[in-house]
Amino acid sequence: MTNARVLKLVLGVASALLALVAAFAITSLVLIIAGDPVGEVWKTILRFPEPRNRANIINNATVLYLSGLAVAVGFRMNLFNIGVDGQYRIAAFTAAVVAGEGWLPGYLNTALAVLAAILVGAAWAGIAGILRATRGVSEVISTIMLNFIATSIVAYLLREVAVREKGSNNIGTKIIPEGSRIPSFSIGDGPGTEVYGFVFIAILAGFLFWFVLNRTRFGFDLRATGQSQTAAVASGISVKRMTVIAMLISGGIAGLVGLPILFGDAYSYGSTFQSGLGFAGIAIALLGRNNPIGIALGALLFAFLDEQSNPLQILVGVAPEIVAITQGVIVLTVVISYELVRRYGVRLEQREVARALARPTDKTEEVPA
Amino acid sequence: MRRTTKFAALLTVGILALTACGSDSDGGSDAAGDGGSAAPKSDVKVGMAYDVGGRGDQSFNDSAAAGMDKATKEFGMTSEESEAEDGEAENAREERLRTFAENGFDPVIAVGFAYAAALTKVAAEYPDVHFAIIDDASLADVKNVASLVFAEEQGSFLVGAAAALKTKTDHIGYIGGVETPLLQKFEAGYVAGAQAVNADIKVDTTYLSQPPDFSGFGDPAKGKTTAQGMYDAGADIVYAAAGGSGAGVFEAAAESKTKAIGVDSDQYKTADASVKDVILTSMLKNVDVAVYQYLKSVDGGTFPAGVTTYDLKVDGVGYSTSGGFVDDITSKLDDYKQQIIDGKITVPTEPAK
Amino acid sequence: MPTPATPIAETAPAETELAVRLRGIGKRFPGVIANDDINIDVRRGTIHAIVGENGAGKSTLMKILYGVQPPDSGTIEIGGAPVALHSPADAIKAGVGMVFQHFMLADNLTVLENVVLGAERRHGIGAKARAEITRLSDAYGLGIEPDRLVEDLGVGARQRVEILKVLYRGARVIILDEPTAVLVPQEVDELFGNLRELKAEGLSVIFISHKLDEVLSVADEITVIRRGTTVRTVEPAGITARQLAELMVGSELPSPSTETSTVTDHVLLRVEHLSLPSPEGRPVLDDISFAIHRGEVLGIAGVEGNGQAELVESIMGMRATSTGLVELDGVDLSDRSVHERREGGIGYIPEDRHRHGLLLDSPLWENRILGHQSRPPSVNHGLIDKRAARADTARIIEQYDVRTPGPDVLARALSGGNQQKLIVGREMSGDPVLLIASHPTRGVDVGAQAAIWGHIKDARRNGLAVLLISADLDELIGLSDRIEVILRGGFVGSFDPEDVTPQQLGSAMTGAGEQA
Repeated sequence: MTNARVLKLVLGVASALLALVAAFAITSLVLIIAGDPVGEVWKTILRFPEPRNRANIINNATVLYLSGLAVAVGFRMNLFNIGVDGQYRIAAFTAAVVAGEGWLPGYLNTALAVLAAILVGAAWAGIAGILRATRGVSEVISTIMLNFIATSIVAYLLREVAVREKGSNNIGTKIIPEGSRIPSFSIGDGPGTEVYGFVFIAILAGFLFWFVLNRTRFGFDLRATGQSQTAAVASGISVKRMTVIAMLISGGIAGLVGLPILFGDAYSYGSTFQSGLGFAGIAIALLGRNNPIGIALGALLFAFLDEQSNPLQILVGVAPEIVAITQGVIVLTVVISYELVRRYGVRLEQREVARALARPTDKTEEVPA
Repeated sequence: MRRTTKFAALLTVGILALTACGSDSDGGSDAAGDGGSAAPKSDVKVGMAYDVGGRGDQSFNDSAAAGMDKATKEFGMTSEESEAEDGEAENAREERLRTFAENGFDPVIAVGFAYAAALTKVAAEYPDVHFAIIDDASLADVKNVASLVFAEEQGSFLVGAAAALKTKTDHIGYIGGVETPLLQKFEAGYVAGAQAVNADIKVDTTYLSQPPDFSGFGDPAKGKTTAQGMYDAGADIVYAAAGGSGAGVFEAAAESKTKAIGVDSDQYKTADASVKDVILTSMLKNVDVAVYQYLKSVDGGTFPAGVTTYDLKVDGVGYSTSGGFVDDITSKLDDYKQQIIDGKITVPTEPAK
Repeated sequence: MPTPATPIAETAPAETELAVRLRGIGKRFPGVIANDDINIDVRRGTIHAIVGENGAGKSTLMKILYGVQPPDSGTIEIGGAPVALHSPADAIKAGVGMVFQHFMLADNLTVLENVVLGAERRHGIGAKARAEITRLSDAYGLGIEPDRLVEDLGVGARQRVEILKVLYRGARVIILDEPTAVLVPQEVDELFGNLRELKAEGLSVIFISHKLDEVLSVADEITVIRRGTTVRTVEPAGITARQLAELMVGSELPSPSTETSTVTDHVLLRVEHLSLPSPEGRPVLDDISFAIHRGEVLGIAGVEGNGQAELVESIMGMRATSTGLVELDGVDLSDRSVHERREGGIGYIPEDRHRHGLLLDSPLWENRILGHQSRPPSVNHGLIDKRAARADTARIIEQYDVRTPGPDVLARALSGGNQQKLIVGREMSGDPVLLIASHPTRGVDVGAQAAIWGHIKDARRNGLAVLLISADLDELIGLSDRIEVILRGGFVGSFDPEDVTPQQLGSAMTGAGEQA
């Protein structure tokens, strides 16, 4: 529209790039101080990924994306769902049990398991929502506690239902029957280039996220509540109801987080099932500014860095933790530069308004007296 | 003002999130480097994929590293290593093994059962590369994989017997790091050994964490309070099968003037001087021996395959005598050992329900 | 140029007589000139008022004089000597003190503790400090007891504590920012008495205000600021409030004035036995009953904190614990939600537009939807129609003269008056039968004030019932068909605006003279 708007968009992109550059500079500094080969490290991390690396990046990003979306729903309403971690684990476990039992044939079984995961994730988060709405318990505290409880419940139930493969020290749920797995598709030659079919479900989830939040009354209510609870109340929104619903949705999406792995790779929930995804989701939601496209970029970036850092230790002799440092610094620099750009944008607009006001239009005389 | 607070909260959460999702930094990694500068030369490049904790964990990763160091030095092999991060994706483990395989490392050793699923895939993708996996026997039928497993229950039986012989209160304890089937083997053997000496002995058992929370292997503070509780309740010897958390158990024992039993390696030799005297004995799980012997046969030109069980018979497990606290009962313990080797005693691998 | 006013004698006063001399003060923010060539002379022992519309640059100027912001250009002389003020500490050292509109007192501390806090070096914290406070209080007739808890003090007394704080720090020039905004007429008179005492002792007072009648009654000189620059300095004797206002706005302006009554006997809002308990015991609202008819404006007068806000929120359904009947055009709303009440035909201009009326970080068109989430044109079948919402926002911008480049601007970027005009436009767009206007012109400039008054009159003429709450008694008297005074949660007197003075209302508001 206006020049200022275009400028703002340019600034937004520039700020993201600037944040990345700053993050890389800081990481390089850390490497130099540690006496590690800076050039080699970046060459390894920034090399063009092989097909199988690309597949891994997409797969990991899919998982991180769902986690980021789950967190972002809460963030949009100023709710800090720290409990995505517990929600996805208890949901993935439930889905694994349901799918493993195979009560229904084929994809009906899959659908039932996915539904179960969404419901369990939503219910688990809903506890925090109800506590917040009825008792004013901070969802930060309650979801952290629920994470611990989820861990223990899953550990307990896993032992109850676990099947042990002969000779293995791992325990897990029953393997999901082949007909109920979600097929992967290959994006290149050679082994390991399979991309989870679940990636389409994640994209669909991202689209629904955007549509519901930006195009529906419900999404408007949710965002309004997030921006100003007092204004929301005055406009007729029931904040308590919104709190519970937002937590249910956040938890429902969280329920999907573990499923790409479950249905595309692991086929069972065992003691080595990936943990910590909920926390990664917080960082990614921050990075993506709670915007479905931004979250996708953030998830891809994180997955890219994770994947590319894998051979660091083997080929360059640098501990892969350096990538965790980079990721942390990126989140910080992005958050800071976004805030700076936001303020600058507001100033730009105020300037524009001031310019519009400066036009001598003494309209006061036209006002009925 | 409110915005600022929110902003700060966001930052805090972000930082928390990142610390939580992977910064288990133990720093140093490539200590093994380029083998020895000594005479022997070999074309063998060994790739070592550690479990979480890696080299320096004072536990079985370290033990594996020791075995590799000894072998590379002796046979002139070269080696590289890489360790897992807490909470990493399954395909990160796969990718680690692939990177080794692709860059000419042969054999590739995977430390820990967590690699089983990843290795199943990667071993099939690289049929010409040889792999070994420690603590897992599920790939017994794969031609290019050697499974190195241990009879931990047998070693635990012996230290259980030692505890039962030494206790003055007929009350002992067991602290496992993480409640996995592997650690339950330790528990089962320990309890069986104690009961073999004294059928009425009281054995308290507990675990520090439940999977997928593996913090129980690295939480000395929790180990200390848990052990303190057992000592207060009357136990006078506690078996610490808990990796790095064991240090806390030893501290608790030192403070309450009781005894503890170490695990995996001879911890009397590695523990802090202030607590070493509380270590009655250690259950030896000689991962170093297994790794060394595996590499030795590689050096000899043969890549072993299938399951090799390191039990009492081959001294893959055992008990330590450093400190001399069990010198008076070694004959009895060796008697039990012989009975197990002869098959007169069958040690259970799962705790009685 | 508007009506000319009498300028003061151009002969510059002798240098030594000047407490403050500002020359060519300029301050730019990106894109906005906040101050430009400001020239003010404040003579020793006088009260100098500075008046101007919101956003005219008064606050920026005062921040410069109090060292909060450095000027981009110009010089400041205090007591004849040029000074550079980089912080409030510098200003205090130079003898300049400031009393902010929002008091900065710790409620749970005593007067003594509040006064010495941060100024412990002057007289310690013990007997010497107490003696100094008593001396100052007596010298200027402030009547302050050093050992009382601030939370036990009324608004007027708190203000005097703030003034004492400034004096205690050695100020010779005292800036008062909108000091009467929080006071009832009687307290205003007391304040002016105190100010005259200060003046008599040779101190200088810079007095910032909107309320021109007050300015005219207390000031020795008045400087008018418009669009960041000094328009003129006048003496009160030679100018009327209306002329002053026109100087401020730069054009002629309207006033709130009653027109012929449009009151009908059709009751639109009926409130009966409305009560709101409070956890402390004494109810916040105590058995209130009233009715507003079609075409009637009911004004509520009261000292802030006597239940006005709660009354409005109870009628809106935002107070879950309120009891009693609220009936809109014959429909019982008592058990309805805020949303249902709004849909039932209530338009709501909230007291605090930032907290209750706007999403500051959302564009105007989204703010247009707020409170109308269930109604066309912005929302259809639960889906947001962005195009229609923007179009209707453009209509409001046009009809209600919201000065903005367009509907995509963030609400935060607008000035207070334009934000308020947007809210009025929005609330009228839902075709309400009842308009609740809570302090509709608070903190808006004179131009927007006139416009908002116009809209309220239009609403009345079009047959709406209007509930008007305001602290501006002139506004209440000018717009209302009937005025109820609220005190401690109950209605204590009904007045006909035709024959009531602000003084009478003030008495009723404080419970001084019971009359009806």
